[in-house]
Amino acid sequence: MRTPAGISRTLAAFGMDTISLAGPLEAKLDAMAAAGFGQVMLKANDLVGHPQGWRAAVRAVQASGLRGTGFQVLRDFEGLSAPATHKLHQYKVDIAKQMLEMCAALGCKVLLACSSTSQHASADLDLIARDLRKLAMLAVPYGIRIAFEGLSWGRTINEFTTAWDVINRADCPNLGIGIDSFHIVAAQTPLDAIDDLQADKIFLVQLADFMWQETKTFEERMTTARTFRVFPGEGVHSEQLVQLVLKLDALGYRGDYSFEVFNDDYLQMPLPFVADRAQRSALWLAEDVLRSALPPPGDLRLRTA
Amino acid sequence: MSDLLLKTPMEREPLQASFSDASNPIGLNGIEFIEYATSQPQALGQVLEMMGFRPVSRHRSREVLLYRQGEINIVVNAHPDEARAASHGSNTPVISAIALRVRDARAAYAYVLERGGWAVPTHAEVMELHIPAIHGAGGSRIYFVDRWREFSIYDVDFVPIPSVDQHPPATAGIHFFGIVQYIGPERSYDWIEFYQELFGTELIPDEQRFGIMPKGKLLRTPALDPAQRFMLQLVEPEPLVHDASERLQRIGLGVPDVLAAVQALRALGVEFVETPAAHTEPRGAISKTYLGSVVFELVHSERSGDRP
Repeated sequence: MRTPAGISRTLAAFGMDTISLAGPLEAKLDAMAAAGFGQVMLKANDLVGHPQGWRAAVRAVQASGLRGTGFQVLRDFEGLSAPATHKLHQYKVDIAKQMLEMCAALGCKVLLACSSTSQHASADLDLIARDLRKLAMLAVPYGIRIAFEGLSWGRTINEFTTAWDVINRADCPNLGIGIDSFHIVAAQTPLDAIDDLQADKIFLVQLADFMWQETKTFEERMTTARTFRVFPGEGVHSEQLVQLVLKLDALGYRGDYSFEVFNDDYLQMPLPFVADRAQRSALWLAEDVLRSALPPPGDLRLRTA
Repeated sequence: MSDLLLKTPMEREPLQASFSDASNPIGLNGIEFIEYATSQPQALGQVLEMMGFRPVSRHRSREVLLYRQGEINIVVNAHPDEARAASHGSNTPVISAIALRVRDARAAYAYVLERGGWAVPTHAEVMELHIPAIHGAGGSRIYFVDRWREFSIYDVDFVPIPSVDQHPPATAGIHFFGIVQYIGPERSYDWIEFYQELFGTELIPDEQRFGIMPKGKLLRTPALDPAQRFMLQLVEPEPLVHDASERLQRIGLGVPDVLAAVQALRALGVEFVETPAAHTEPRGAISKTYLGSVVFELVHSERSGDRP
């Protein structure tokens, strides 16, 4: 028999994204907490779209007791510092600073930045690395780490292997990788490359499944990613997700797993229905896949006493 | 800094350290001033006077006082907005800014902004100098000053206090040695990278330490004049201690003879920590914490503190 405290403990490493739920921020936070989650991945719209303003949204997050897994998402930042696009670069630096300030106000330690889709951005990996290094430097005074993620429709960086390459070129302690299972499966990147990562440079892992066997074109990937992801275990790529999570665990990754599930159907369902599906998915990953929920010795003693 | 900084004990030949542009990208040349923000300027002034500093000038437009001894300038900023913002609402004084001497402030500013320095607005009034600044640790600022050769920034923004010696000599040869910065858990390498990227600091090996407070990581800044180099010490919290806050914690002062300096400062009323863990010895000493946050560390260092 599961107790609410037991469920919360089992779910400790897992969190939901606000993007999976409809409605006001407070209702989303309530639904996540009610399902036993202790953390939440927030997005900029949660803050600036709050009817009482973004400071009120920060207070709502603080009042919920949920920890911020991270803050998303800074887009199309890198590859713009060449002279021809320097104005655009400076504009993006201003955007990045606002994102960092909101991230810091929420107490989130990770800002997610995803790889550029812009035709105006350079494909030079060293220039990309230099821009990411600058972003990481901007984040240092706020104590924020940058998780850089390769979108599967990114122009130059569309696999985690290339993202890892530029992170190494940038070589900055608070710049690491953000892994999103959707993009790995969609781009069909071999999972063996996970072994080349360094566990303490994985700053965030986002998990989602989907229903199609294949997404060959960038357009298909984009549409699927933005409208029809499902929770791990609900789609047709469960086996790959299991392999991914086990590989990350074997590598030594002990950070958070967040459910990055964009789904148009879930956005018109009652929040407890969606949160319960997320909970079922997290319990499956924790108990059946990672087997991380074996009761600690202290609990065993209490039960037999 | 001390001759210890210029001569490494291991060297066989008198090989010079590099002072090229590559190792000193912003033409750094030491500290122009350290700023405290406080809502209790008189109380802080008393502590500074015990440490041998003298008030020499007042700011033209704001509640700001300049203290000095030898080559060290300390600005006490009691402007209500500044004091509140820098101290995050607490009542205790905070080190709210470091002003770095650079060859060309405009060029230095452009260099650090290009590499991820974060510009902060500063509020110069009419006829006051606009001093560029970036975000530093825990809400503090790092200023860039290049008017230190031909005339000083204080000639523009400050009015001398009448009949006061504008250049009081240093007590016991006190000169600037370094700044200690408290940082969050596992943040050492972030800050090492930050200072290296923006200022060209170098990491001192863990075996090499100065004074009696050896914890953390030690960085040395480059300088156009090697004698103007200074230290940045980064100290993380102890494991299991829940204090992730970051701030500039204390100023390190170099003195040629620590025991003589302690004696001279005791005569002025300064109390020093004397516990088994930290106590006065020829290598260094540390003052009691005043006003809940103000600490000075003394470190053995040969350089004379008086103006050349």
